[in-house]
Amino acid sequence: MTFRLLETGVQPGAFNMGLDEAVLNAVAEGRQPPTLRLYGWNPPAVTLGYFQGLEDEVDREACSRMGVDIVRRVTGGGAVFHDAELTYSIILPESHPLARPGILDSYRVLCAGVVEGLARFGLAAEFAPINDVLVQGQKVSGNAQTRKRGCILQHGTILLDVDVDRMFALLKVPSEKMKGKLIEDVKQRVTSLRHKLGRSVGLSEAAAAFAAGFSKALGVELESALPSPEELEEGGRIGREKYGTEAWTGKRL
Amino acid sequence: MILRRVVKIPAGKLLKLSAEIEGGVLKAVSIRGDFFAHPEEGFDRAEASLIGIHASAFRQVFADAIDREGVELFGLSAGAAADVFEEMLHDLPPA
Repeated sequence: MTFRLLETGVQPGAFNMGLDEAVLNAVAEGRQPPTLRLYGWNPPAVTLGYFQGLEDEVDREACSRMGVDIVRRVTGGGAVFHDAELTYSIILPESHPLARPGILDSYRVLCAGVVEGLARFGLAAEFAPINDVLVQGQKVSGNAQTRKRGCILQHGTILLDVDVDRMFALLKVPSEKMKGKLIEDVKQRVTSLRHKLGRSVGLSEAAAAFAAGFSKALGVELESALPSPEELEEGGRIGREKYGTEAWTGKRL
Repeated sequence: MILRRVVKIPAGKLLKLSAEIEGGVLKAVSIRGDFFAHPEEGFDRAEASLIGIHASAFRQVFADAIDREGVELFGLSAGAAADVFEEMLHDLPPA
């Protein structure tokens, strides 16, 4: 089995989400094979889960002041601050041998790529349902999946570094009174490659390791490619016309 | 009257529910949180089907709509959302 490998570098959030959707359209229409995409974020961005309220979750003024974009995802789950991280997306038809009918089974199968990528750094990781990957009980990767047009799209983060205080300067919490305790809890529960390895891991080193990890865990050959001109054009357009709009971002307030 | 509630669903995700009720009828409702629902648009339609119903019908109408749309939920259930809604109603002062 062969997957296409796209490494699309660091891009703004609206474009990143637009390109994931454009790739899904291309795979759904049989124009492109199943695809693993690896990417990063510049400027940093907060993404919201599909069902989250914008005003509930994000301090918009702080994001604006700190130059952080806000983008709503097409997938459920929680708000994520994307900064020093490698993000992946996997898009494959539901008819593919690696696709599982059950959502939870699918997470387990696809997250094995994250677990195997972490093994390349000597880190023993485990999948923790519903959608997390843990190293020594601490979360290093969150993942989210949707199914559209007969395809599975799963995207997820791998934290290269994490600054919980900065994250909570951008995100709102249900109770200001509990904020201090919540931040301390998250510091205990979340980790990154830098924290575990005691050194910085750059995007390209991480991309190479996780490409190899997905290849091994999923049993697929990866063929490096560039997104097609149509995908880039469509991704940019969907980014501008959907993910970059107030109507979409403020879909739930 | 606008009602709001934030509840951690037991063994689930954080649910943020708000509703506007006038004369016992739901004028607006918003079910938000970090849960997953597949397909997402089916959940949107199930939520929209609550508009205009009597508040006492929330549990039945929402459960039926989630079923009809074939929505699979993770970190939330139709019943758990109805529980939170009914608790919220219970806190209303008598009309």
